[in-house]
Amino acid sequence: MTDCGCDKAKAELEEYIHNELTVGEAADIAEHMATCEDCSGEHLVGLTLTAKVRKACNETAPEDLRDEVLARLRSIQTV
Amino acid sequence: MTMTATAPQVGDLERELHSMLMSTEPAEEPVAEQPAAPVADVRELFESQAIQYMDQLYAAAMRMTRNPADAADLVQETFVKAYQAFGQFQQGTNLKAWLYRIQTNTFINNYRKNQRNPYQGTIDDLEDWQLGNAESVTQSTSTRSAEAEAIDHLPDSAVKDALQSIPEDFRLAVYFADVEGFSYQEIADIMKTPVGTVMSRLHRGRRLLRDLLADYARDRGISAVPATTTGSKK
Repeated sequence: MTDCGCDKAKAELEEYIHNELTVGEAADIAEHMATCEDCSGEHLVGLTLTAKVRKACNETAPEDLRDEVLARLRSIQTV
Repeated sequence: MTMTATAPQVGDLERELHSMLMSTEPAEEPVAEQPAAPVADVRELFESQAIQYMDQLYAAAMRMTRNPADAADLVQETFVKAYQAFGQFQQGTNLKAWLYRIQTNTFINNYRKNQRNPYQGTIDDLEDWQLGNAESVTQSTSTRSAEAEAIDHLPDSAVKDALQSIPEDFRLAVYFADVEGFSYQEIADIMKTPVGTVMSRLHRGRRLLRDLLADYARDRGISAVPATTTGSKK
């Protein structure tokens, strides 16, 4: 592990948040963020954004949609 | 395809085996490496594997169509198409991603063409400043923690409004990555676009979202983020 510096950390922060980096790359960024308030602040904003979007988008399908879909499927003869 | 006289017996065995496997399996991924199901059981298999994703597909459909009636229609159409194509689905691969691919396709073909958006299709080519995203990246650390806190305190409705207002391709990339947790490659397959484009859409979508939410928080007096930190906006 080596501290990758701000430029690389900022450039790859989105990929870090979305688990798209290799273990080694992610470790370098984690090490950098441990000592860099600026980058760890960016990381916090990014994580908060993800959590917020996920929560806001939670929906439950209407009760009757399930019945309608099952009825539609059962009316289809061939597959 | 038609049922053969011998199918029901094999079908019964399959069904029994399948329900045994399914009962010990947590909902997330379907059982891997299943033998091809006989015709008699296809509907049952489909219902037991695919219907569980209805809430998620509906939530995505709400973000796509922006209203409950169209969202319900889109989900129903998705399930019908998926059922008709279920023979082509390879058991053991990601069923949720497969369903999303069908729904996204259906949405683009049936719904998007009715929404006349002059930028659609060329949105990836727009420069950031054309999207109103000329924000300075220099921001102090204390401002960042204030920003995170402000975002955290926003009502869900503000987040949904902000999502609805960003370009559709960006919105879908953000949705697939942040809500569904799909990998970039899976999103690329769903949206039929290269991984590099997925990254660009996701980055820009999240940047726009973040700016919109910061604006919203500031306007409502939710945060301590001063207006001067956002730099010059076009």
